[in-house]
Amino acid sequence: MSRLLKFNIFRYNPEDAQSEPHMQEFVLEETDAMTLFIALNRIREEQDPSLQFDFCCRAGICGSCGMVINGRPGLACHTKTKDLPGEITLLPLPVFKLVGDLSVDTGSWFREMYTKTESWIHTEKEFDPEALEERMDNKDAVSIYELERCVECGCCIAACGTARMRDDFLGAAALNRVARFLIDPRDQRSEKDYYEIIGNDMGIFGCMGLLACEDVCPKHLPLQNQLGFLRRKMGITSLKRLFGK
Amino acid sequence: MTIVYAPAGKSGKWDGVLDWLQMLSGASLILFMWCHMLLVSSVVISPDLMNAIAWFFEATFMAQVGGPLIFVVFLMHFVLAARKIPFRMDGQKAIWQHARMMHHGDTWLWVIQAVSAMCILVMGSIHMWVVLTDLPITAAKSAARIQGGFWAVFYLFLLPLAELHVGIGFYRIAVKWGFVKDKDRPRFKRGENIVTLMFIGIGLITLIRFLFLATN
Amino acid sequence: MQTIYTDFLVVGAGLAGERAAVQAADAGFSVICLSLVPARRSHSSAAQGGMQASLGNSVMGEGDCPDVHFEDTVKGSDWGCDQEVARLFADTAPIEMRRLAHWGVPWNRVVPGKSIYYKGGKQFEKIEAQEKEGLIMARSFGGTAKWRTCYTSDGTGHAVMCTMDNRCAQMGVEVHDKTEAVALIQDGETCFGVVARCLRTGELRVYLSKATMIAAGGFGRIYPNTTNAVICDGGAHTMCVNTGVVPMGNMEAVQFHPTGIVPTDILVTEGCRGDGGTLLDVNEKRFMHEYEPEKAELASRDVVSRWMTHHMREGHGVKSPYGEHLWLDIRHLGEEHITGKLREVYEICTSFLGVDPIHQLIPVRPTQHYSMGGIRTNKDGAAYGLKGLFAAGEAACWDMHGFNRLGGNSLAETVVAGGIVGRKIAEYLEGCETEFKTSLINDEVKKQQARIDVLVSCANGSENVYKVRRVMQDALHKGANIFRNQEGLETCVAELQEALVRAGKVGLRSDGKGVNPELAVALKLEGQVKMALMVAYGALQRTESRGSHNREDYTARNDRDWLNRTLAYWKNEGDTLPTLEYEAATEVVEIPPGDRGYGKSEIISADTPKDAGKKGK
Ligand SMILES: Cc1cc2nc3c(=O)[nH]c(=O)nc-3n(C[C@H](O)[C@H](O)[C@H](O)COP(=O)(O)OP(=O)(O)OC[C@H]3O[C@@H](n4cnc5c(N)ncnc54)[C@H](O)[C@@H]3O)c2cc1C
Ligand code: HEM
Ligand code: HEM
Ligand code: SF4
Ligand code: F3S
Ligand code: FES
Repeated sequence: MSRLLKFNIFRYNPEDAQSEPHMQEFVLEETDAMTLFIALNRIREEQDPSLQFDFCCRAGICGSCGMVINGRPGLACHTKTKDLPGEITLLPLPVFKLVGDLSVDTGSWFREMYTKTESWIHTEKEFDPEALEERMDNKDAVSIYELERCVECGCCIAACGTARMRDDFLGAAALNRVARFLIDPRDQRSEKDYYEIIGNDMGIFGCMGLLACEDVCPKHLPLQNQLGFLRRKMGITSLKRLFGK
Repeated sequence: MTIVYAPAGKSGKWDGVLDWLQMLSGASLILFMWCHMLLVSSVVISPDLMNAIAWFFEATFMAQVGGPLIFVVFLMHFVLAARKIPFRMDGQKAIWQHARMMHHGDTWLWVIQAVSAMCILVMGSIHMWVVLTDLPITAAKSAARIQGGFWAVFYLFLLPLAELHVGIGFYRIAVKWGFVKDKDRPRFKRGENIVTLMFIGIGLITLIRFLFLATN
Repeated sequence: MQTIYTDFLVVGAGLAGERAAVQAADAGFSVICLSLVPARRSHSSAAQGGMQASLGNSVMGEGDCPDVHFEDTVKGSDWGCDQEVARLFADTAPIEMRRLAHWGVPWNRVVPGKSIYYKGGKQFEKIEAQEKEGLIMARSFGGTAKWRTCYTSDGTGHAVMCTMDNRCAQMGVEVHDKTEAVALIQDGETCFGVVARCLRTGELRVYLSKATMIAAGGFGRIYPNTTNAVICDGGAHTMCVNTGVVPMGNMEAVQFHPTGIVPTDILVTEGCRGDGGTLLDVNEKRFMHEYEPEKAELASRDVVSRWMTHHMREGHGVKSPYGEHLWLDIRHLGEEHITGKLREVYEICTSFLGVDPIHQLIPVRPTQHYSMGGIRTNKDGAAYGLKGLFAAGEAACWDMHGFNRLGGNSLAETVVAGGIVGRKIAEYLEGCETEFKTSLINDEVKKQQARIDVLVSCANGSENVYKVRRVMQDALHKGANIFRNQEGLETCVAELQEALVRAGKVGLRSDGKGVNPELAVALKLEGQVKMALMVAYGALQRTESRGSHNREDYTARNDRDWLNRTLAYWKNEGDTLPTLEYEAATEVVEIPPGDRGYGKSEIISADTPKDAGKKGK
């Protein structure tokens, strides 16, 4: 016999003056290989067509479907119901602006992050269409890709106590982004340039080592190691700045 | 195209240095607490040993100078670390709500750290004041204090709070600065928990020993 | 009502859209991209395998050059492509890959020395040249003569998408995400922008522009089983269909990928087979080498999909509660390879199937994957029918893919076409003065608002939008799948016509307030059914088999009658069928139609007399 799953889902439509934040209960029969993607869509199609949530790739690669699943931020599409208890509580990710029900605005947050961290390669070199590509060690390429795997789901931000207490804190995804450029030989920014971006309490020195980011990241990015790496690097830079000039 | 390296945001010129100081103050307090443990717990082996160690510190003036110095580090650490503690209601509500929602060990550890810190601030200050204004340290004096009852209860609270704070602090420094990598984290954390429990155990034994020590 | 003005408006912030945006921004124009989701979540980021460009750095790609790439592309298209465009593409692709490297894509690079690779389940050795060290590496992909697919582990699309979006942020290209374009503002001659619905508030908004580009990706979601993201629903195509003057090219050319997993239809990359994965049947025996001795599992997608379906029909499929499937075997590639180069595959199998591909077989079946058809453009990316309207990427029928696109060619197309079309648009903007007529804009907004009101108030009826959508999807699934025949297609068309009537009577069950998701689906349903009809009706009329379009009753490729491209219009509101017109597949012929070298080769050549090749009835 398959289980009857009880869903407690956060409901609030800010565009509807009558709407109040509350939890709503839905009951659904579990099927084989059911994921929250399948379950939520069934609830929407069969029970309440106004239910808002975000899915895109439904394959765990785009980062759209971050939500708080039984207390933990995670990707709904690659959460199998059979790994959950019979009662499932779903909340929208905190920190980000609520669009409605389970849907939040991660896009604006991350765009702002790109600007703050200047998330692009800084180089004086011009592209020459005639020339061969510049060579790069495959090992470098692989380690850059390792950090580029972030899907900007926002789970690490929503899970971070520091980010919840202080809205100017950059968060693990942003710090990881800086690390990605820091190890890229094509980016000509110096450590002092990076210090200007993250060498402060909004950046790496604001991180209190809560490590929820590391523990929830659905892509298993090596956030703990990157944060440590950045703290050491920026720590040393801060001393150099102190004594250097 | 011109390339501008100056980023958005306020530059925190001193934030890096402050982070160093926070870590170093914490680390030196840890070292101190280990020494403190050696001193106080030596009573378990023999009150004479404790007296000898205390006398050594006294004779070399380390107690007279070191004591207040520790007090200064203690305050400095407080000032630095307190930057991270939310003193406004909404911040506190956020972190409590967050910790309860997440069921996440390391987040709870931080809450414990922050709460214990506030208790230590008050209790540690009183304790240091009392001990340092009543030098020299001897096993007998300590025993007398503890047998008075009030101090026994006082230490019964301060001891676990202090050890938890120190233990978590030690773990935190290691992971924050990347001395312990992700792969070693679970093992390191388990080790640290055991050490903390051991320290609390030794502290309790010490307290018991003081309770039954002759105070002539 | 908010009205936003820009020089260049791009509907879609995937690779094609953002690449064109960067190009125009570079030339000094203001650019806004609209997107349903934050740019990086666009479906381009789901492409795992890689993108083709004949850099020829790997020893396995030695001697590769644009000519060979061009030839592969034309053969792959089954001579359905525009050869001028294919040529442009093959020549430009290497430059674009290098440009991407310059912008920050962490391409895997050549590591000199010995390494092993697998083909057909056997182990081989290759030695990469010392002097190529650090240049962009390539891997093998289906339907190609050389190793030509540039990649970053198995997250190529994701990595390139990140770099492109970074570049946009750097160039000041605005991306308005959570914004859905719902209608073009046009007067039958010129396009002036779009009416869009904000997916943060549900409000309508007007975007005015001198040039508008559709780069909205594929429309796989009109099928029930597809590897496409849920946002690949053709909503932006419907805007063009609804104009009545912009034709859709080759809508019947739909690609099915051999390896969608069962039951979730998530794609596992062609790289699995490229790296040596094999297909097994119910007896866990290989079969592809019996049908295709030369290429076996690495023949082009249409061929592999077809043989898989054939093999299942012969009774060799694995029965499961979700229907029949076959097995993909990558166990012999070893743990290191699977958790390294194919990590994404590993993760998909473990987290969505509970299958460990290091020790277990992966259940797969052919699944809708790519839309070769789309908004028909000329080689500059200008859409037929409306001035100031452009299209690129999967949404367009620029037409380098013809009736079958090769793996790795479409991701490469997005950046190549984006670059070329972006440049053309910049030129167009250079000499462009546009006047925006207020009445035209107001009328269009009123029209859209009226549609919304009708849906919310159930004025036309209260058909359930999800049920009607299901009817459309099932009709296509049954009638316009890998194998097609007259009877099936006729039924399909009839069912779709019925669905079209029902789509007109849809009413919402919810209140439609704010970002109502039911309303979003309802707004595009009718247009989707029209597109489905273009697919089915186009397929019914095309009495031959070419590329992915495979007629059981007309098994030969007929170059005499069908070496052409279908142009489908929805000319009048009240029509129940699209109007089909045809144009020559290619003006320039570099390689005359011939044998592809794989697949079965029944060809009715252009000089066969009229009634020779007639089969079936
Ligand atoms: C699972 C999978 C794997 C693939 N792997 C490969 C591969 O390895 N190699 C390869 O070459 N190709 C591959 N492809 C094909 C390739 O990924 C796509 O063809 C290509 O990425 C399409 O890019 P695009 O820029 O045209 O559109 P997309 O990247 O799909 O972007 C479409 C954009 O349009 C927006 N949009 C859509 N509708 C609207 C609207 N109404 N209003 C506003 N915005 C809208 C979306 O938000 C999005 O930003 C794969 C495809 C799939 C499904
Ligand atoms: C005055 C009382 C104290 C207060 C208010 C206090 C507060 C704090 C706080 C809030 C933190 C967390 C900082 C962060 O996460 O970034 C912290 C860390 C720490 N504390 Fe304390 N503390 C006090 C006393 C002590 C004492 C007595 C010791 C040791 C004996 C100690 C050792 C540490 C250590 C080692 C850390 C980790 C340092 C770091 O993360 O950089 N603290 N303290
Ligand atoms: C220079 C500073 C300090 C001195 C000289 C000192 C000395 C002592 C002495 C002599 C005792 C024995 C009991 C007594 O005499 O009352 C004691 C016990 C204790 N002290 Fe301190 N102390 C110092 C600082 C601290 C600090 C900063 C803390 C913690 C934050 C601390 C926590 C404790 C605890 C928990 C005990 C009980 C010990 C046990 O049960 O093992 N002390 N200390
Ligand atoms: S670092 Fe991980 S958790 Fe954070 S946004 Fe990226 S993928 Fe999500
Ligand atoms: S959870 Fe937050 S405090 Fe640091 S370690 Fe992660 S960013
Ligand atoms: S929908 Fe893309 S990650 Fe879940």
